[in-house]
Amino acid sequence: MAASTVAASELLHNMNKQISILFPKASCVIRQISTSSSRCDCPPQMRAKSTPQQLVGVVGLEIHAQINSNTKLFSGSPVGFSAPPNSLVSPFDASLPGTLPVLNTRCVEAAVMTALALNCTINRKSLFDRKHYFYADLPTGYQITQQRRPIAVDGILHYSLLGGKKSNQMIRKSVTIKQIQLEQDSGKSLHDNLRSQTLIDLNRAGVGLMELVMEPDMSCGEEAAAAVRELQLILQALGTCQGNMSEGQLRVDANVSVHKPGEPLGIRAEVKNINSARFLCRAIDYEIQRQIEVLQRGGTVQNETRTYDSKSGETIPMREKEGLQDYRFMPEPNLPPLIVYEDNASLPTGIDACQVVVVQKIREGLPELPSVKRDRLVQTYGILPEHSLTLVNEDGLMEYFEAVLKATKREPRKVIGWVKNELVAHLKQQDMSVSQSPISPSALAELLELQETGHISSSVAKQVFQEMWRSPDKTASQIIQEQDLGLLSDTAQLHSICQTVLDSHPDEVHAIRNGNKKVLNKLIGLVQKETKGRADPVVVRTIIQEKTS
Amino acid sequence: MLVFSLAAKRACRGVSLKSFHLLTNDGYSITNVEHIHRNTNRCLQSHITNVTRLSSSRPHNSKVPEVATWEPVPDHQLPPPAHIPADLVDKLERLALVDFRTKEGLACLEKAIRFADQLHVVDTSGVEPMDSVLEERALNLRDDAVTDGDCAEELLHLSKKTVEEYFVAPPGNIPLPTREERATILKHSEL
Amino acid sequence: MLSLTIKEMSLALREGKISPTELCRKCLNRIKKTQHLNAYITVTEELALKQAQEAETRLLQGAPKGPLDGIPIAVKDNFCTENIKTTCASRMLKDYTPPYNATVVQKLFDQGAVLMGKVNMDEFAMGSGSTDGAFGPVRNPWSYAAPYREQTGAAPDSDWVITGGSSGGSAAAVASLTSYLALGSDTGGSSRNPGALCGVVALKPTYGLLSRHGLIPLVNSMDVPGIMTRSVSDAAIVLGILQGLDIRDSTTIPAPSSLTELPEYFDVKNICVGIPKEYHAPGLSEENLAQWSRVADMFERAGAQVKQVSLPHTQYSIVCYHVLCHAEVASNMARFDGLEYGHRSEVDISTEAMYASSRHEGFNDVVRGRILSGNYFLLKQNYEHYFVKAQKVRRLIADDFKRVFSSGVDVLLTPTTLTDAACYSDFTQEDNRTRSTQEDVFTQPVNMAGLPAVSVPTALSRRGLPIGLQLIGPTLQDQKLLSVAKWMEQRVGFPSISDYGDSSESRNDTGMTKREQTSAV
Repeated sequence: MAASTVAASELLHNMNKQISILFPKASCVIRQISTSSSRCDCPPQMRAKSTPQQLVGVVGLEIHAQINSNTKLFSGSPVGFSAPPNSLVSPFDASLPGTLPVLNTRCVEAAVMTALALNCTINRKSLFDRKHYFYADLPTGYQITQQRRPIAVDGILHYSLLGGKKSNQMIRKSVTIKQIQLEQDSGKSLHDNLRSQTLIDLNRAGVGLMELVMEPDMSCGEEAAAAVRELQLILQALGTCQGNMSEGQLRVDANVSVHKPGEPLGIRAEVKNINSARFLCRAIDYEIQRQIEVLQRGGTVQNETRTYDSKSGETIPMREKEGLQDYRFMPEPNLPPLIVYEDNASLPTGIDACQVVVVQKIREGLPELPSVKRDRLVQTYGILPEHSLTLVNEDGLMEYFEAVLKATKREPRKVIGWVKNELVAHLKQQDMSVSQSPISPSALAELLELQETGHISSSVAKQVFQEMWRSPDKTASQIIQEQDLGLLSDTAQLHSICQTVLDSHPDEVHAIRNGNKKVLNKLIGLVQKETKGRADPVVVRTIIQEKTS
Repeated sequence: MLVFSLAAKRACRGVSLKSFHLLTNDGYSITNVEHIHRNTNRCLQSHITNVTRLSSSRPHNSKVPEVATWEPVPDHQLPPPAHIPADLVDKLERLALVDFRTKEGLACLEKAIRFADQLHVVDTSGVEPMDSVLEERALNLRDDAVTDGDCAEELLHLSKKTVEEYFVAPPGNIPLPTREERATILKHSEL
Repeated sequence: MLSLTIKEMSLALREGKISPTELCRKCLNRIKKTQHLNAYITVTEELALKQAQEAETRLLQGAPKGPLDGIPIAVKDNFCTENIKTTCASRMLKDYTPPYNATVVQKLFDQGAVLMGKVNMDEFAMGSGSTDGAFGPVRNPWSYAAPYREQTGAAPDSDWVITGGSSGGSAAAVASLTSYLALGSDTGGSSRNPGALCGVVALKPTYGLLSRHGLIPLVNSMDVPGIMTRSVSDAAIVLGILQGLDIRDSTTIPAPSSLTELPEYFDVKNICVGIPKEYHAPGLSEENLAQWSRVADMFERAGAQVKQVSLPHTQYSIVCYHVLCHAEVASNMARFDGLEYGHRSEVDISTEAMYASSRHEGFNDVVRGRILSGNYFLLKQNYEHYFVKAQKVRRLIADDFKRVFSSGVDVLLTPTTLTDAACYSDFTQEDNRTRSTQEDVFTQPVNMAGLPAVSVPTALSRRGLPIGLQLIGPTLQDQKLLSVAKWMEQRVGFPSISDYGDSSESRNDTGMTKREQTSAV
């Protein structure tokens, strides 16, 4: 069974490879097309270490996405995140005997919509099962899930990441989605070690989850993080999941193993408790490196569950029921098969169309997906695909970019440079989100406009940007005025400054006169230094050329 | 008079010597239980008892079979009995969080398995498993509208132990102790 | 008066021959007099009087809610009742009071029914004698009636017979005339079996026709609320009230028709009665066989076509039921851990230890045994071998019925039980599993296939105890099934327990009530 699964996933993996080789997206301007392969842009030190054995990482993911719905999967109690403990709990959620599950239409629609966005095959008929284990925040002693026949199978997620030496090349990859299944979330346990007790809050118990299983098509943390980021964007675009990892709306477990390419997959360890994209990347890379080291020492990797400790950056084995765990799956007897219909024509007669899920209707209502959005940005604004990746991947950045464009006549290509190099760099440096930016799109637009119209030089513009960042209540014009940063328009004054510079650098003047035009730039720079960047470089060049000819 | 035998599953003490006459409404009379065992081991196949029936008014209906049409599956047709090793006993107790309590508990499981083994006499090749009689019906769906919740007080009231608005469990992530230790705990926990 | 049917009593109430309050008091009195039967776990006297008073007001205004307005009823203690203890006859739920009503209970309340109390059963409905509950065994009212006592010379304190189960309290309540209707539950025969042994009508409707919301489950895919009454017509009235889609139970189906009254005269000439030959199982008593034959004759003489048919997998049905039941029990019982509700052990060294000891203390041996064997059948290594195998056999059993019903058979006539009721002392010699496999042999195949079935009392045995026969119909043909059952009921001439005088009162002279009460926990 396990062997055949591995074989099947290998096969799919190779098929994907074939597909992406045969059909690279031709419509985009791409500097470099990299197809899915086991090679990865892993941190260089890791590659160096693994080279002698040629051991490489293999990563699959199990992702739990909380469905964005008003009520829980099987009960009419509300879904919420900061309500008083146990206030969002119905008798069913608390497992009171005699209560029965009633499936929420919205959760089914969310799963179908997500499945369509991930090119899955939707199972017309899917089934629910019980998975048994005892835990204080699982009141029934079992979780209702879809083990035998999930709602959707066999999809694909295309994602891209920036790679190459300067991290500015776009690399396209894809991962197979094995299945999407609907299941219940558990409640929350708060361990109070001081008083030796566990406090149980069932507000989350029974919230709908989509479990997405990604095949081991990835090879390092960065790829996994990029795939998860793309999934997150898709879910958010669809509105099927809010996708906030730190709030637990999106939870990722990684199955990590190492092997030599071409050989069967190694024994895998599951890494749990990862609550951000950054930690996901680190946890996986740590685990790959750990397994490589274990094998290099002649040891064997254990099939185990490990947890990621974000403080130490390590993965640590979790205490488990070793060899004992057996979920004793059983069909959920209180839920007849879930049927979704392809279109209105396939509805059985006499059925209430509001009470059923019709795939065609959901397909028609699909919003613009991030990949389409990127293509649109590239085409509309003539920017590079990697720029579109940044614009879409950073929350709110695209909206910011488009707002700037609306308020300025500057070319999108110029604006993207500012947004990417100045704004994003500043945000990253201070770990801020776009919405927290002290410089609003209109403020940036004003600045760019001042530069465009020749009020300030480009170097002053960068200076002003930094000042604006520090003093968000000041506009660009205010800063320019206060600090007298406006472009020097007094020609006589400029002539005088240039003359002073030339007089103090006779060797350079001599060199220019002898035909070494490169030295000209040095002198221009000196003038700019003298004017604190307020001189128009073109005008300065003309003056110096005149004076040295 | 028709004399036949049947596998008497049950008889009541104290009636064997007493002859009585009970007239049912269609004049069907039954008398004289000749011999009834007190039968403490009423397995389906055992203990044949002779009963005399006076069939005065009507012969037996020809559509109703006069004798049992089947017999319990003989032991030799069954697979060898399952043995439950000690580690499986421990595993079952840990998974189910109930204990066998005594040796009889374990014997009871072995009997239950033995009984279930009769299934293997049935040829089920090509037969699909059946979850429920509603397997052909589509599941009803519910609107995504809040109809429940907001009854924390009512629910917490049912619990023996709460702190503020939380249910309270003892410390978690601690596996059950060994079987011997468990037995001691359970002994002390007897009411 | 107490021995009337619902139909008759409803009329008497409307005609003012008796008021609901008077009737309620009479029943409460009778409950006290028949306390030795141990039929009730909780008597809801206060609520009953309040409901009776409300019914009285409506009746006086000439605006009764329906045929059940003011009618005393009893409910098996595995149906949730708001603010009324619901124990499942288990220490686990000894003090459990649910915050909501089961849908079927609510529907009865909405009709003005008067709840006398919650009735006894086997713990979590696991049993076929009503002898395995935390509140002691239920005694069959016929143990104290003249026919049994005279004909067996039995000493009632030691030779009383069981009610059958697991809905023994329900059957005893209806048979001892303390309620006109009792809700039972039927998973493998739990209503029909005690119905037959206590001489009351017991209907197991088509699976899905009645809501299970609020019924604490035994086997979800087979459980059905059972209707226990003194007449087939009464069962039809109650079915009409209870049936239909319930949004809270995803396994309910719309009622095929709103059930009207059964026809007074039903012509059986055009029906075909099947006699499944496999229902002559080893252990079938001569008397039960004779009744089967007698009623088959009746149908034949009335012009019905009676033919022998075969349900070849019947023998394996009980085995299949055993595996599926235990597996679901293992799953359904997982929620009882003492954390959110129910019995909680003092042990608090860890969550698992607390769970294990709460379950140890709260469940009886039968429940624990089924949980363990159910878990065994569901283990990864056994799942295909036992659970899936049983599911396959289940299909063969369901297909057997389908084949027979599509061959032109309208109803099947079978015995309900192998014998009449056993003496308690004999019954308890055997373990619960063995007993269940014997007791449920004719009843559980119907649950596997989801079909409607009804047990109708037909005669008293030589021991003076009731014998019942079962009619089985095709799915959703409950009304037709009841029409045939009514025809049969009209002709078999089963006596009422009240024909033999008030046995309960004569019992008081023996002064044994106190001693017997000690058997209740």
